[in-house]
Amino acid sequence: MNADQTEVERLVRDAFAAHEHIAPDGDAVFAAARARIHRRRAVLNRPLVVAAGVVALTLAAATAVVLNRPDPTPADGLAGPAEQLRTAGPTSGASAEPAVADLPMPFALGWLPEGSVEYVARRINIGGSAEDPGTPLYGGEYMLTVTADDQVLRIDVQQFRMVSVDQAAFKSGPGRSVTVNGQPGVESANPDGLGAYELYVAHPDGGSMYVNVSNPPGGTVPAARLGEVGRRIAQDLRFPGTATVTPAFGLRDLPGDLRVCAFEVAKRSDAGPGVNTRYSVGTCEVLPPIMVGTGGQDVPTGTPGEPVQGRETRYVSENGHQRLWVLDAVDGSAVQLGGPVPVAQLYDIAGRLVLPD
Amino acid sequence: MADYENFVRARLPRLLRYATMLTGERELAGDLVQEVLVKAYRRWPRIRDADNPDRYVMRMVTNGYLSWRRSRSARLVAVGEVPDEARPDDFASDHALREDMWQRLARLPRRQRAVLVLRYYEQWDDAEIADLLDCARATVRAHAHRALTTLRSGMAVDHMAEARES
Repeated sequence: MNADQTEVERLVRDAFAAHEHIAPDGDAVFAAARARIHRRRAVLNRPLVVAAGVVALTLAAATAVVLNRPDPTPADGLAGPAEQLRTAGPTSGASAEPAVADLPMPFALGWLPEGSVEYVARRINIGGSAEDPGTPLYGGEYMLTVTADDQVLRIDVQQFRMVSVDQAAFKSGPGRSVTVNGQPGVESANPDGLGAYELYVAHPDGGSMYVNVSNPPGGTVPAARLGEVGRRIAQDLRFPGTATVTPAFGLRDLPGDLRVCAFEVAKRSDAGPGVNTRYSVGTCEVLPPIMVGTGGQDVPTGTPGEPVQGRETRYVSENGHQRLWVLDAVDGSAVQLGGPVPVAQLYDIAGRLVLPD
Repeated sequence: MADYENFVRARLPRLLRYATMLTGERELAGDLVQEVLVKAYRRWPRIRDADNPDRYVMRMVTNGYLSWRRSRSARLVAVGEVPDEARPDDFASDHALREDMWQRLARLPRRQRAVLVLRYYEQWDDAEIADLLDCARATVRAHAHRALTTLRSGMAVDHMAEARES
């Protein structure tokens, strides 16, 4: 095997490893599958509703009370970026209210290792349990990197509302039992292996918290250090979260039984300024949902369509999958809507975009 | 069906990562795995009693991907062409190298991509891959060779050297 082939193989491995984080949320997928299996419509509350006169993203009332409860100790490492996002958010011209409100994360990271923190994504997923489908379950996720002394750590912390510790599985092999703040957990016994250091710790209200600390491709942080960082992060998780994120655009008054199943603010893949905002819209029962977001690698192409909110559009139809771009929608970028639905439905949703002035 | 739920919960993160590597897109991966979960429920007695339930479900995900009725390749071509010759600026960082490779992987025929995912992501040997794909080991090697040749093509020699140094 020649050297070039070896390098291609290495790049292939690195490319796969670098994209693990885009895997979908297991709770949402399982909830959707379960709903189909049982052929019943989930009776979830609409988690994202419109406040009177203000196009605001608001968590369902009961949950919002819980999520907005002040955190006694501000989470370091989060206040800065969250504040930046809040400041950068669009505001409505006539009102002091924000056009799109901050969305609180369900938990906060109370500790991160010293270094420069860069948030890759913050995500909120909404699902339901089989036992009580009428009560929405909110799970959060932080994906970030911490850089210090030329070493980079990749950190992923998720809340799995429907996965208990005894259901944890590690790619690196069997795990071992641990206790974190009195809660049972299980961590990867071989953090040198695939998946690096992983830890599941029970959440007092059910489900589990997942912490993954790993090297980026080519990274050299020892496995022992990955474990130290992961355990400490788990020890200092705080509920509810104090961090909030602000989408670059909003959605109002979704039609029919559509609702927002997930919401994400993520770093732009092209390393440009600002962040990408993406919504997963659907009934949250049957995937694939309709994706509505900025960014991505998609280039607005296709056939010119009907204007939306005074903006040009393009659309492409491919084997039942429609894509619609609303051009120059957010800071000069397009908002893309896509899904296996009639293009008229995409136009309907596009008309409900809340875009900055 | 508690055993089904327990089985799924324990394997779901891995299945989703695997499906993501196959499809290259989060939404498609979720869609693919959801389909498999529904089918697995209906076939659960057979899966539960199989010699290797994990392998059974992995095969379902793989077959689902290979027989996916939507034309992913058409979608990917529509959303942006990968340059035939990468520009030097694109290789200024490891990130650019990985993203370029990710784009190239997306253009591979599905069976070739599946072989690469199983070999380089799941770290299976060729015999295991052949068993999963129900083909000969020589076929697996041929798919891998063609895929790697395709991926290498268009990457200039100096870029490869840069990749080796990174």
